Amino acid sequence: MFKNYLKIAFRNLKRDKIYSFINIFGLAIGIACCLLILLFINSEINYDSFHEKADRIYRVNNELKYGSTELSMAVCSDCLGPTMKQVYPEIEEYVRIYNFAGTKLVKKGDGYNTEYSTAYTDSSFFKVFSFPVISGTTDKAFTQPNTVVINETIARKYFGTTEAVDKYIETDENRSTLYKVTAVIEDMPKNSHFRFDMLFPLKYMNYDFGYYVSANFHTYLLLREGTDYKDIDKKLIEYNDNYVFPSAQKFMNIGSKEDFYKAGNKILNELVPLKDIHLYSERSYEMSPSGTIQYVYIFAAIALFILFIACINFMNLTTARSANRAREVGIRKVLGTERKNLMLQFLSESTFMSLIAVVFAVGITLLVLPYFGEISDKEFKISDIFSGTILSFLLVLPIAVGIIAGSYPALFLSRFMPVEILKGKFSGGSKSGKLRSVLVVFQFATSVILITGTIIIYNQLNFIQNKKLGYKKEQMLIINNAYYLDKNVEIFKNEMKNIAGVKSATVSGFLPIPSQRSFNAFFKEATMGSDFGTTMQRWRVDYDYLETYGIEIKEGRNFSQQFASDSSAIILNETAVKQFGYTNPVGQKIYSIGESGKNLSFTIIGVVKDFNFESLRQNIGSLGFILGRSTGSITFNVNVADLPKIISAAEAKWKDLASGKPFGYRFLDEAFDEMYRTEKRVGNIALTFSVLAVIVACLGLFGLATFLAEQKTKEIGIRKVLGAPISSLLIMLSKEFLKWVIIANIIALPAAYYFMNKWLQDFAYRIEISWWTFILTSGISLLIALATVSFQAIKAAMANPVESLKYE
Amino acid sequence: MIKLLGVSKYYQNKFDKTYILRNINLEIKEGEFVSIMGPSGAGKSTLLYIIGMLDSASEGEYYFLDEQVHKMKEKRLTELHKSHIGFVFQQYHLIDELTVYENIETPLLYQKVSGSERKGKVAELLDRFNMVAKKDLFPNQLSGGQQQLAAIARAIISKPKLILADEPTGNLHSDQGKEIMQLLKKLNDEGTTIIQVTHSEENAKYGNRIIKLSDGWIEKE
Repeated sequence: MFKNYLKIAFRNLKRDKIYSFINIFGLAIGIACCLLILLFINSEINYDSFHEKADRIYRVNNELKYGSTELSMAVCSDCLGPTMKQVYPEIEEYVRIYNFAGTKLVKKGDGYNTEYSTAYTDSSFFKVFSFPVISGTTDKAFTQPNTVVINETIARKYFGTTEAVDKYIETDENRSTLYKVTAVIEDMPKNSHFRFDMLFPLKYMNYDFGYYVSANFHTYLLLREGTDYKDIDKKLIEYNDNYVFPSAQKFMNIGSKEDFYKAGNKILNELVPLKDIHLYSERSYEMSPSGTIQYVYIFAAIALFILFIACINFMNLTTARSANRAREVGIRKVLGTERKNLMLQFLSESTFMSLIAVVFAVGITLLVLPYFGEISDKEFKISDIFSGTILSFLLVLPIAVGIIAGSYPALFLSRFMPVEILKGKFSGGSKSGKLRSVLVVFQFATSVILITGTIIIYNQLNFIQNKKLGYKKEQMLIINNAYYLDKNVEIFKNEMKNIAGVKSATVSGFLPIPSQRSFNAFFKEATMGSDFGTTMQRWRVDYDYLETYGIEIKEGRNFSQQFASDSSAIILNETAVKQFGYTNPVGQKIYSIGESGKNLSFTIIGVVKDFNFESLRQNIGSLGFILGRSTGSITFNVNVADLPKIISAAEAKWKDLASGKPFGYRFLDEAFDEMYRTEKRVGNIALTFSVLAVIVACLGLFGLATFLAEQKTKEIGIRKVLGAPISSLLIMLSKEFLKWVIIANIIALPAAYYFMNKWLQDFAYRIEISWWTFILTSGISLLIALATVSFQAIKAAMANPVESLKYE
Repeated sequence: MIKLLGVSKYYQNKFDKTYILRNINLEIKEGEFVSIMGPSGAGKSTLLYIIGMLDSASEGEYYFLDEQVHKMKEKRLTELHKSHIGFVFQQYHLIDELTVYENIETPLLYQKVSGSERKGKVAELLDRFNMVAKKDLFPNQLSGGQQQLAAIARAIISKPKLILADEPTGNLHSDQGKEIMQLLKKLNDEGTTIIQVTHSEENAKYGNRIIKLSDGWIEKE
């Protein structure tokens, strides 16, 4: 019996090749989309879950509010871990990571390589985290000075083998320092929120340990089994009261605890579960850019929609074809089959079809996986597809889709009265016409939302790229790590200025892209504490900074070598002036606390126009420039035509002046674009999936149009015999579909407006959603639908009427 | 075998009833070969379908082998007609996607007959109807007469007591028609009750009883 069903199913497949193709291919695309997105989501939600003790590991977050200074950080004091472990037995272990030491220069041959992913950590690191060891042991890791644990990549790079234990890594610290390799570990997986290549013992780090009010360490606590981390949050309040606050009083000139909190200030530490860090934690000093749970939700919704569309097609085509199958149902009923058997037949048929689709879907997924990895900025392995959740999805899905898609035809067709069908009274599937149009409307509405979303995302990206930022973004060459030049920085800068094509140059690590930052509290009065002051960024620059970056001076003047007093001068931006509340800022004085606790006073000599020195997601904040040494990088404003010559000249000079340290450069506009990588990624993914959704929806429409044309063959034939022109036949055949698509647009556009408006709220600087976006989307969807339908309509309208009538 | 008492069939419109069959009283005994005749629209086919339990009467009582069909549940109906009744249609109504062999085999599948037994029965019939060479062809590869032969083979494979034939030769030319009628006659001689609907006086002569219908009434016998 079952064999009989499969046989019929298979022969039906072969006979109606177009239908079968649309049905299976459409569903396969839907499932493939779903699979890809599932892979994406799977990797997003499984961050850090590979650690054996992942469920018991928490990171300590730090919340600080003092006056207008508000900090929410992923780091805390070096004292927190040890103190907490000592005082509270619920804490089994702590581990701290310090990654602010920047890069290490590692000697290879005659020169040095820059290693960016380095950090210092405690000897408990491998007791808390699980990273597989390739050679050596990690039991005593980080207990001896001048030791290092490296990963496979580093081992291969410097020793050509993973057998690197007891070999030495040489860095440039104090001219030359040797570190003995104690273990080689596997490269940290991509779904770890931190990834280091080299780890050094924190205990022997050159750092002024012991300040409760500092915050420089990523600290992880391993709680004992059965401990509720919310209880530890309470213990952290005790810790703050007992240790941090007394220390803060001493250093920061704070009165009583009650006054401090009453004024709205706070010092707070809280735990965040390790596995939540990637998706839920977006704080200052995170070790990797966070994913956002919103995008996970959005993508999950898109996946479901596309799968749903594909299922709708499947159902639609199957019911549309029920007319053809009705006769078979009638005969079978006459031959004595029961309804149960008929339903079983249709269900097994659709399950069989969706099984084939799943096989194709896996094929498609494997094919596009590398490409998808690229646009989604992730690394997928083929084995990911066959892992637990996704494999069970692949097994359950065809059955579920088969049942959902097959149930309607099964119920509908098996109900037919055989006499009616066999007498030819049955009017093919016209009863389900209404349902079918609802389904088509839904499909197109979804597609329209996706198209609109894609257009708006790209518009916003375009807007960002072309926005007037208030500084020069193009033709800016940045030489990285200029501090390698040490005392030779000025020589390098001045010699470069003489090269043709270099218009100006400035030395400063403070750039309008992610780079060095310094926040300081400033006060209008010389006696501190009388007001809470204003926190603002203070950038140390040289005389040429404003000119090189093309930042416009609104009032007053730039720094000048003619004024010796400019060493205590400050130039503010408009926002800072507004925040201080000056109407005539030039000549006023503001005050701050220096590194040694000494009071500093600055005279305002100028005001610059506001420029976007942070991401366009944020409004422009307060900023002040002072003269000072900051050798993070050197920026050259250059003539693009001379660029190759300039770069080779820079490299040659660097070799002379930087004694073997690696030379590196980048361009400001590229670094700027990098800030919007997430948005670009989302845009790419949205584009891919909206194209796919449209394809799937069109396949469905194409199938329905084919069906409709087939059904109306006789009517078209008669009309032609009666003298109808082809154009009127085309209108007759396309009218209904276009009506559905227009309705879909009417439903989808307000929804798209709502969602995309919400998305745009993330940006302080954003486009207005304009009406032409909607006109464009409607136009695109109508055009696509028309093209899809007209192919069949033209074919049907052009056919020789004699044929169709003879056939009948 | 079959007894109809006051059977009527009508369709209810908004204001009046359209009668197809009116007050039919009819008894058919086992072994009879009955021809139902009459002009188009007289209700011949409807009467046949009611007898075949594919349609139900609006009024009246129907007894099949002394069982009350008009009060029967769907399941029992299916049971009855799958084991006792075979159908032959003017348009043959073979399943296009199945071969001749598979078409003939289908009723046995529904009766849960074992595989080897099915093979035997189908082979026997194919042999008897001289269709062994055609068994792997699909319906559209056969001539009309051959399709009708296959349809009859399918109708009798489960050895029904009653064969209902709705203009079995209507789509065939006369030679093929004759062949089919002789076959039905032969089946009747072997003891199968046959009821056919036909327009042709000639075909009606193969039977031993003629029922004339007109406007839903039985005219005369």
